[in-house]
Amino acid sequence: MIKFENMKIANTILIAGCLALVLTSCKDDEIITCVPMDGSTLKLTVQPTFGAQDLHLDSIYTTAEGYKVQFTEIKFYIQDVKNGSSTIISDGLFDFRSRGTLLLEASGDPLDFIELQANLGVDSSINHDNPSEFPNSSWLNISNSNDMHWGWNPGYIFVKIEAKADTIADGNDIFDHNVVFHVGLDANMQTLDYANLNWLALGNDVHELQFGLDLATFLQGSTQSIDLQTEYSSHSAPGQEALTLKVMENFKEALTLL
Amino acid sequence: MKYALIAFVIVATFFSCKKDNVGYEPTPYELDIPSHFPDMIIPIDNPMTFEGVALGRKLFYEKQLSGDNTQACAACHSPQTAFSDGNQFSTGIDGLEGNRNSMALINLGWQNFFFWDGRAATLEEQILEPVIDPIEMHETWPNAVSKLYGSQEYRDMFYQAFGETGIDSVKVSKAIAQFLRTMISGNSKYDVIYKAENNLPLSASDQAMYATVSPEESAGYDLFKSLNGADCFHCHNGPLMQVQKFSNNGLDPVFSDNGRGDVTGNPSDNGKFKVPTLRNIAYSAPYMHDGRFATLDEVINHYSFGINISPTLDPLIEYAAQGGVQLGPFEADLVKKFLLTLSDESFINNPDFQEPQ
Repeated sequence: MIKFENMKIANTILIAGCLALVLTSCKDDEIITCVPMDGSTLKLTVQPTFGAQDLHLDSIYTTAEGYKVQFTEIKFYIQDVKNGSSTIISDGLFDFRSRGTLLLEASGDPLDFIELQANLGVDSSINHDNPSEFPNSSWLNISNSNDMHWGWNPGYIFVKIEAKADTIADGNDIFDHNVVFHVGLDANMQTLDYANLNWLALGNDVHELQFGLDLATFLQGSTQSIDLQTEYSSHSAPGQEALTLKVMENFKEALTLL
Repeated sequence: MKYALIAFVIVATFFSCKKDNVGYEPTPYELDIPSHFPDMIIPIDNPMTFEGVALGRKLFYEKQLSGDNTQACAACHSPQTAFSDGNQFSTGIDGLEGNRNSMALINLGWQNFFFWDGRAATLEEQILEPVIDPIEMHETWPNAVSKLYGSQEYRDMFYQAFGETGIDSVKVSKAIAQFLRTMISGNSKYDVIYKAENNLPLSASDQAMYATVSPEESAGYDLFKSLNGADCFHCHNGPLMQVQKFSNNGLDPVFSDNGRGDVTGNPSDNGKFKVPTLRNIAYSAPYMHDGRFATLDEVINHYSFGINISPTLDPLIEYAAQGGVQLGPFEADLVKKFLLTLSDESFINNPDFQEPQ
């Protein structure tokens, strides 16, 4: 009995010793990571539509003029996303083909953002900076901006819409009419301002703000329309100013809170 | 139960500190990234080390990775062709040809997807394929690993690189990926043109190189960027001289190879292939995913007059309806002269990229 008790004590000491060894033996290798408590996750999402129906890339839609159109790319930048002096995030890139409906994701408290202001595009103060020097986490870094950057001097493409259209109503669906809207340059940046934000609680402390982007409204704005038969290309180049501005204004009108 | 717990703790103690017990201390490898390039994101599970890079380099030239010990990765990616193959299609160990041109291995650390159809998401994933491809190296990974394990030198090198005994395909791919990430090309005439254009500081050697840029090369660059000129820059720009996307660039009206479409299953992707870098293009002939063009003249002629319209043609080829951008012979020659500024001899001849002796 005494022998058994001694064995119990010895075993207990051995186990405790081993545990202590395990806990201390690799001290040099330890990496102590402190994960800050960031609070809620805020997500901004954009659902492209064509009128009342959700829009899918490469699907066919009919414009007010009766043209058929397949959108192949929808991308845009927002930057300096904030409410007054409270910044949500410095920049976000919407890329419908690669990233779906997600515009941006950041940490923050939805109560701090009952209003929201942002640039549709990139402010001139950073639009011509070295695109390699933005941090890897920034959508302005050249590795992330990818084809949304022209070059240092023109800067970033703010809004990119590419499509293929059939503008001849002959019953044959031949989408040989290329539509390319690449809009940038400092003068064309727009500002966005939304109030009475309705953050949806998704659970797990995630809150989402949903936007809609109606490409039918983009083509047929309240004050000006874009006729794809004649207005199908803008690279914000000299001589394209009118269409360039129309693209930005109609795009801004089409981007609404849901 | 208690003894099992004791045994577990002791075993755990030994394994948790294996690194300390054997003195495995890899040397971190600092990449020499050109000042105008973005940072390279290195996978957390495959950090760069001198030991890993040295092993990867040896494996890149290792013929034992093939079924009959005759072909290494370098067989289809040789230094003098910008780590591509000068043949239209590469021939595997059984004498069989593939149907796509071997891609040049340049600045792979910044790529978002690999192969012409983008079917591999990471470099490590890409490296696993050619060894077991029946029309390429036609070997099994167990056999390849077994051959490597027979070498004391390899066993030592793998241990030095990964701190573990044993060799497997994952370690092979990680080591080769480390080596490939060192293969950075950013020292061409184009690079000094890019820096000067954007007011980045030029080193003395940069300035000397910039002084050799001819008026024709500059004019070619202007055409290259011009919407009403060659209009190349939509897909080829920036430090990498490419954008990362898939594009149908009008090679065929109907497709014998669906490219990206066969990966996604989406007919809207048919006929699309990865946009490659134009760096070192003078070395990497032939051109296009199927190597159909032997010369740069043929390539420029394609974009000038040879565009074929198809349902998935890239909308950025805006002059498709007239066959292309219609460059005349003089303009085409200027664009070609600019394309030759993308040659980086220090990359091609870098001794660190050659077969180790």
